[in-house]
Amino acid sequence: MALTVLCVAFLVFLILGVPVAFAIGLSCLATFYVEDLPFETAIQMMTSGMNVFSFLAIPFFIFSGELMLHGGIADKIVNFARSLVGHWRGGLGLANVVASTLFGGVSGSPVADTSAMGGVMIPIMKREGYSAAYAVNVTTHASLSGALMPTSHNMIIYAFAAQAANGVIDGQVIRGVSIGDLMFAGLIPVFWIMVCMLITAYWQAVKYGYPKREDGSTGVERFPGWSHVLSTFVASLPGLGVIAIILVCILKGIATATEAAAIAVAYSLFLTVIIYRTMSTDKLLRSLAKASKTTGVILLLIGVSNMLRYQMAFLEIPDVIEQALLTATHTPWLMLLYINIIQIFLGIFLDMAAHILITTPLFLPLAIQMGVGPVQFGMMLLLNCALGLVHPPVGSVQFIGCAIGNISIGEATKTAWPYYLAIFIAITLVTYVPSFSTWLPTLLTGHPVL
Amino acid sequence: MNALKYTNRKLSKFAMYIACACLVGLLSVVIYGVVLRYIFNNAPPYVEQVALLLVISVAMFGAAAGVRDAGHIGLDSLVKILPARIQFWCSVVVNLLSIAFALSLLAGGYLMALSTYASTIPTLGLSEAYRYLPVISAGILITLFSTEHIVALFKSEKVIPSWH
Repeated sequence: MALTVLCVAFLVFLILGVPVAFAIGLSCLATFYVEDLPFETAIQMMTSGMNVFSFLAIPFFIFSGELMLHGGIADKIVNFARSLVGHWRGGLGLANVVASTLFGGVSGSPVADTSAMGGVMIPIMKREGYSAAYAVNVTTHASLSGALMPTSHNMIIYAFAAQAANGVIDGQVIRGVSIGDLMFAGLIPVFWIMVCMLITAYWQAVKYGYPKREDGSTGVERFPGWSHVLSTFVASLPGLGVIAIILVCILKGIATATEAAAIAVAYSLFLTVIIYRTMSTDKLLRSLAKASKTTGVILLLIGVSNMLRYQMAFLEIPDVIEQALLTATHTPWLMLLYINIIQIFLGIFLDMAAHILITTPLFLPLAIQMGVGPVQFGMMLLLNCALGLVHPPVGSVQFIGCAIGNISIGEATKTAWPYYLAIFIAITLVTYVPSFSTWLPTLLTGHPVL
Repeated sequence: MNALKYTNRKLSKFAMYIACACLVGLLSVVIYGVVLRYIFNNAPPYVEQVALLLVISVAMFGAAAGVRDAGHIGLDSLVKILPARIQFWCSVVVNLLSIAFALSLLAGGYLMALSTYASTIPTLGLSEAYRYLPVISAGILITLFSTEHIVALFKSEKVIPSWH
């Protein structure tokens, strides 16, 4: 009965369009009522779910991303990327990929990345003879790397969702997941996504003969020389420094993830207010307000997910799903394929934070049984969730890109398949080649990471 | 309606000011803790508890302001394909359900504040009930903001966000 109430209420609320956090909260409260449990306990669970010191990194990462977005760091990164690869065929597309990947590391958010890079690159690309759909697809797909960068608040959300993970893989005991390990684990997949996107952007540019200007010329930009490359790199270096600060702080044990995120905000403020002088009071207030609102939305989601976790454990939902999937197959590679397919399907409907919080407790125990550790599973999940950001009906990154490029979602989706394919290849590698995500954190931290 | 609109506009701004101030406070207190630990080798024990009180304020006031400015994540793409009349009633039901959730926050937060009043937060000496004040405030604010959305729907008006 309680299980039916939980599932039916959640689905009905979701389909009606109730905000996801409220839908989870209300369906859990209805289940508490059916189970005759005191409902103030549910509110206590929600509050305690938000009251975790590690989560302070979430508002800090969001605020740092907003400061970088409004502080003009994007222009400097674009100049560097353009000077480096702008002289090749489809040069602006390639520069866009490099710049979006780098800014993804600065902002840690595909949404902020697309807003910043799309605002700068899409109008330039359209003016220089690239189709709007090409410009939008390159920007939105390359921006996905932001979800796997060390500055990504989604990693913190995953770390919370995976804190109850336990099991044994190859004799190694699994107890939760380290945020530091996750931060290092994302770097190689991000590099791989960038390479895949560069190849795709180049191939599409050659295929369609970009740039195709109005006067009929198709010439590419001239190489500005290595001294120009160096000078633009030096100009963009302080902005990129935020990634180094976080990684060094954690690797050297100087600060925890939360403290490193706070230091990143202080550094972003110092950079945009004192060094670049690009941050006005109005922009600062906007960044602060946006960060507060986004924090509210995400932390409320985390709070109510704590109620949901309790209900799922109480009603033994992960066991039910586990049994259902184990009935289908016991072969690890096939099981992982099923998990990926389900996650990609859920990504069509669910936003990233909700997706992580709902599906981690369902699939992580099963993945551990199949020999996939929480770090590797985290990378798989984040990539699957990221894919949902660039396809309809709830692809928030695609919405932003299309709005900037002034094209319809349908127009962008029609020519997006090569970019989807690139992300699928990355998901396949992360799923079936564990060292793809675990080798670097193992090397850097000195302990085996799974 | 005008009085509700005026009050909510002010309340929404007020909620965002509180959330922003708490975010600045949060940043300051965490950096203060790091500096004291590394320069003076003396990490104050109250930093963590102050930070946790502040983060819940940022979250609840930010979440409440998000309700007025339609900032919450929802799946509205299925409703959008329905006829306009059904869409209208779906929106009304969504706002009524938001009020139901807000009232649960209000009542649950109040009951928790009552039951934890005698306990104190470690290292701060403050009552645990303070932890539930932002929850209660968010309950009141979300109820008012969702009511405004319902009234606006019936009057075919739009709620203009206080913060863009």
